[in-house]
Amino acid sequence: MDSLITAAARALAAGDPLGALNRVALREDAPALALRGIAMAQLGDLARARALVRRAARAFGPREAVARARCVIAEAEIALASRDLAWPAKALEAARESLEAHGDRLNAAHARVLEIRRLLLLGRLDQADRALAGLDAAPLLPALSAAHELAVAGIALRRLRTRAARAALTRAARAARQAAIPALQAEVELARRALETPAARRIARGEEKLLRLDAVEALLASNTLVIDACRRVVRDAHHQVLLTTRPVLFALARALAEAWPNDVTRATLLARAFGARSADASHRARLRVEIGRLRKMLRPLAAVTATATGFALVPRHAREVAVLALPSEDEPAPVLALLSDGESWSTQALALALGASQRTVQRALRTLAEAGKAQAFGRGRARRWITPPVPGFTTQLLLPAPLPGD
Amino acid sequence: MTHTPAEILREYGPFPGIDHVHGVSFDGQHVWLAAGDSLQALDPESGKIVRSIPAVAHAGTAFDGQHLWQIAEDRIQKIDPKTGRVLATIPAPGGGTDSGLAWAEGTLWVGQYRARKIHQIDPETGAILRTLESNRFVTGVTWVDGELWHGTWEGDESDLRRIDPRTGEVLQKLDLPPGVPMSGLESDGADRFFCGGSKTGKVRAVRRPRAVSESRPAKRRTGGGTPK
Repeated sequence: MDSLITAAARALAAGDPLGALNRVALREDAPALALRGIAMAQLGDLARARALVRRAARAFGPREAVARARCVIAEAEIALASRDLAWPAKALEAARESLEAHGDRLNAAHARVLEIRRLLLLGRLDQADRALAGLDAAPLLPALSAAHELAVAGIALRRLRTRAARAALTRAARAARQAAIPALQAEVELARRALETPAARRIARGEEKLLRLDAVEALLASNTLVIDACRRVVRDAHHQVLLTTRPVLFALARALAEAWPNDVTRATLLARAFGARSADASHRARLRVEIGRLRKMLRPLAAVTATATGFALVPRHAREVAVLALPSEDEPAPVLALLSDGESWSTQALALALGASQRTVQRALRTLAEAGKAQAFGRGRARRWITPPVPGFTTQLLLPAPLPGD
Repeated sequence: MTHTPAEILREYGPFPGIDHVHGVSFDGQHVWLAAGDSLQALDPESGKIVRSIPAVAHAGTAFDGQHLWQIAEDRIQKIDPKTGRVLATIPAPGGGTDSGLAWAEGTLWVGQYRARKIHQIDPETGAILRTLESNRFVTGVTWVDGELWHGTWEGDESDLRRIDPRTGEVLQKLDLPPGVPMSGLESDGADRFFCGGSKTGKVRAVRRPRAVSESRPAKRRTGGGTPK
């Protein structure tokens, strides 16, 4: 390694990115580009940082496969921090394999943690689980170990395994303390606090109650028919029926559940499902059709019986009926859930993560912005959306040392 | 050209407080390690660090019989080893891309890492007197008994090589084991080379092979030898 690269790397390691930049500002060789990229990332200019480490990866020679792979990892991490989910995941995988082949277990594990975090963010939990199983966590340094445990906790939370999430967060807190990075410790603390704040609302027998995540988990494990408005799913201990793409059927199910064990009048159902103020014959015909469809879909879980004035829900196995809703329901929930990780998102990234069209996401964002629940900054393609910071999963950059031999 | 594995005689370190070895030199008694913000004197017999002076030390280091010469960023500093004081400064020929440093008979030899070059320079002015090309990244440079040796490190591979000081032709190669980094090279004037181990924080002693046809009595002084 040459003298200015050494000096710049030392400055960077000492937390002086400007000092590092000063030393290699005008140099275009691979290690200089890599150091400039890492320095820019530390200074928060993620777009420039990414372009620099990408150029560095290309500039390292064919014999410098390890340095090249580390630059790919740095680029992936910067992309993740900028919530650019369309980054080439294949390149990251290839870089990880190259590092494994060269015996760089530490950075190979770093690559794997990034893959897991990306899958978690995209909601691909099964893939994330498989990637976790392939992770050799032994060589992880404390900071990366904390990021890894946060990802484990994230997966457990999305799967509603509160106890596993709590255990992972305890390990994350220990690792973050060892790493002695205050920002990382704060992130773990926020995530732990999320476990103690209301995650959902239970509506049953005319009463509403805010539930922590472990109470949600307990409710789902109990002998209750749950109409889950967070995911548009109806389930009991044995079955679940997805109504994700059937908003009308879900609205009917929810109205019936909220009234249980009583029935719901036709007029109320029409208003809830179709927004109809006054019902005419065609509305009533349509209601009959939709109730028929709902009956068919809910058959394993519940019957929908006709009463004198309307309809009522009769669970087959469950003893209770409850609606599970978001703590507050006046917003486009899935978009808000993603924004709530405290980072800035592009519309494109949100659309990709939600599997929705950009137009749908834009509409949802506009609604949120009008309600003061989301903020945009930047213009055009660079526009990003944020919410006031709420618990989320690590955004701390733990960049690999990109230099050969380092 | 002969091509053999390097015979590692001894490993020193890592040493507390030294996370990188950026260069090595030998003053006849101690091995000096360039450790970033200090020069550290290692007793090669006991394996202990016996002295340390504060000095900016980012790459190669050399000893001229009286002073230490040390690459610091884009300069080469002449340092009094007794006090650590910088007596003079000249520009480094690579402008900060410099790696190894050796002293021989009144001139300095400077390795330029990624440029794969070795420059002979005037220690008064820094003016380049001649330039040799290598085909691999150059780390340390050293002279011993009229032989010019340099270390290389590229990708995962390091070696020590003796080159013709007029043409740069490679005459002899000693391979270090794969994955062992090499960040500096100095001979003890006799049968050993000292190799800096970069981020491993180690120093390795490697046996210097004697070329049968060229064997001469060893001179016990650093960087001994006469460039042609």
